[in-house]
Amino acid sequence: MSENVAVIGVGQTGFRARWDSMTYVELAQQAAVQALADARLTPDDIDAVVFSMAPTHFMGVPDCDKWAVDFVGARGKPFLRVHTGGATGGSAFQAAWAHVASGQYRRVLVVGADRITETPDAQFVLNLIWDPLYEQDFALNTVTMTALATQRYMARHGVTEEQYARVVVRARRNAMNNPNAHLKGLITVDEVMASKRVAWPYKLYDICPRSAGAAAVVIADERSARELCPRPAFVSGIGAISNTVFMGDRCVPSADCDFAEHAEISLAARECFEQARIDDPASQVQVLELYDPFSSFQFPELESMGFCARGTAARLSDEGVFDMDGRNAVGPSGGTLCTNPIGVTGLVRVADAALQVMGRAGAMQVKGVHNALATAAGGSTQFFTCTLLSDEPRRRATA
Amino acid sequence: MDTYVLGLALSPPHAALRSQRTEEMAFETVRAALDNAGVERTTIDHVTLATSDEMDGRSISSMLMAMPGGAYLKDELRVTDSGLTGLVMGALRVASGRFHLGVVVSWNHTSQIDVDALTRMRAEPFVLRPIGLNGVIADGLFAGAVQHRLGLDDSAVAERIAARRQQAARNPRALQRDADGAGDDAPLAWPLRRGHSAPASDGCVAFVLASGQWLAAHPGHRPLARIAGVASAIDTYRLDGERLGGMALFDQALDEVLKRSGHSADDAIDVAEIEAPTAWHDLAIERHLAERRVVALSPSGGVWAQNPLFCSGLVNAAEAALQVAGRAGDVQVPRARFAVAHGSHGYAQQCQTFVAFERVAA
Repeated sequence: MSENVAVIGVGQTGFRARWDSMTYVELAQQAAVQALADARLTPDDIDAVVFSMAPTHFMGVPDCDKWAVDFVGARGKPFLRVHTGGATGGSAFQAAWAHVASGQYRRVLVVGADRITETPDAQFVLNLIWDPLYEQDFALNTVTMTALATQRYMARHGVTEEQYARVVVRARRNAMNNPNAHLKGLITVDEVMASKRVAWPYKLYDICPRSAGAAAVVIADERSARELCPRPAFVSGIGAISNTVFMGDRCVPSADCDFAEHAEISLAARECFEQARIDDPASQVQVLELYDPFSSFQFPELESMGFCARGTAARLSDEGVFDMDGRNAVGPSGGTLCTNPIGVTGLVRVADAALQVMGRAGAMQVKGVHNALATAAGGSTQFFTCTLLSDEPRRRATA
Repeated sequence: MDTYVLGLALSPPHAALRSQRTEEMAFETVRAALDNAGVERTTIDHVTLATSDEMDGRSISSMLMAMPGGAYLKDELRVTDSGLTGLVMGALRVASGRFHLGVVVSWNHTSQIDVDALTRMRAEPFVLRPIGLNGVIADGLFAGAVQHRLGLDDSAVAERIAARRQQAARNPRALQRDADGAGDDAPLAWPLRRGHSAPASDGCVAFVLASGQWLAAHPGHRPLARIAGVASAIDTYRLDGERLGGMALFDQALDEVLKRSGHSADDAIDVAEIEAPTAWHDLAIERHLAERRVVALSPSGGVWAQNPLFCSGLVNAAEAALQVAGRAGDVQVPRARFAVAHGSHGYAQQCQTFVAFERVAA
């Protein structure tokens, strides 16, 4: 039987294009110090540290995590780095969860940092994730890859570019309430539509920024959590899934998961919700912090996770169902569309979801949050994690 | 821990594997481990990969490697530190109660990469990289420190290498070499010479782990070993005099794994398979263990049997598990019931990891 686990402290630096005033490890340190202070703990109170870092090719130091050891208070402790591409932050959090749920450790710090703009062209680096023999020579990167999936989704469900533009408008508006967000502002659909074309249907504003910054989360067993934190955010469900890298294999009738629908996340969400006894996510989950680096991610993922029927998310989005005061607040923080320090983005999603449950999200706070979902996605939209934070454990015993 | 080794497999070691892509090596090893465990891939509920982008020569290498690693539509998580760290993570996942049957896999197609260039890029860019620090120099600094601290010399190193080569020659899972590199005294980083390090090799290791609950529900399956405990500790990044050769974290992590396994520091360790990248490390660890009751130290031959750098610690785990299962072949230690596998990674062994295995009653 698993130990119950809860988030008891979070820390984030602000996110921006560059952090020239601090080194990589100093950034990570700042987030760790904040999270520890938030949890009312010192480094000596931490039993183990999980480091969240995706490809190091952006910032250029393969052992960046080892370099950070002294800065995040990990010396003398168990320490490991998790890397699942864009899903890294979600996976790192779930790795830390396993440390505590196993009963082997009581308090674990998850921390990481990223500096995507250390490289002049992130999409050139992201071309290197593909097969060197035949894929890299295409203009294949994460923008063109997801644009292809978006075209497929648009053709299938009749979604327009303007409907994606409204997602961007909502995200930038929500980010106005987030002091850590990278991009924010009151923009219009026309401004999104007029932004520079990148890869159809994407314009520049449909695409997340390259962000620098750090995040950290402290998790603890239930006893510690109740002692230290007036309102912990309990981990009531976790799920993750990994699919094939090959996109073509996900575009055929016999595919287990369709490329356009991000259908893999349905498997992760089902597992996560089953643990948390969530039967109807649309009515039971008040906040979603989605890993949505492109404006086109929300619709297929909301549908795949059971928040609405297939092909209906764009219409519901237009109707305000996913606004801050809607049925399900999607991305109160502005989400990944406004801030994407890849190595910790999934962890930021968890941190922002936890703050909602803890009632400490400030101007981002949604009223009456009992359950908040954090997701992450990575690779060729092949890795997905779902983590549900709740105001009580309410976890179903695993069979 | 309520975590068991249901099966395992090691790929045939190669000095330089040219006939297979890395994903083929991983696929075949995972397939063999599942066969060894007597389970189908469809029945596992999670996969833990332990692999490095830089070693694999590809950014987010798990994009390609997750599938041959058995993770198609499975809950997959990846660590990047070392193969043995992957086993620690896999064991914790099973112990969490959320997972019950899974795969841990790690590989290193070492012959495909320039290890010295890679380990230099690992250094932070302000001080260490400009002065040219890499893995060899870090190992040389370690060797220099333990030479001074423990009074080791070249003759002791030569004797240790000869002994390890003899052990490796008896190991049925070892890469049988023609004493390549033996006696090569080309200086690398004083006092380290080329022949003091075991040649790197290509290889892959996979474990199938099961929970006690899964075993209770599948009484027809008998595990090879129980994972009695896991422990690790990371030291400062600074290569200062205190850290180099002090091996304080080695002691700390070993004490911790014994404690977590229900053993005291005075209890006998039947087998300790240690990761010693050079003979200097080997001797230093042996001296360090002198006060403990270690019956057999690296009976497999250690890295001299095979040395797929990133996953050499996981090779040790396989050897240790086979020892307590009584299946180690010609290197079997009689009556081995409790074994520890050691792994290290980072500059000059910054991180020390141990996994303890216990024999499972028939």
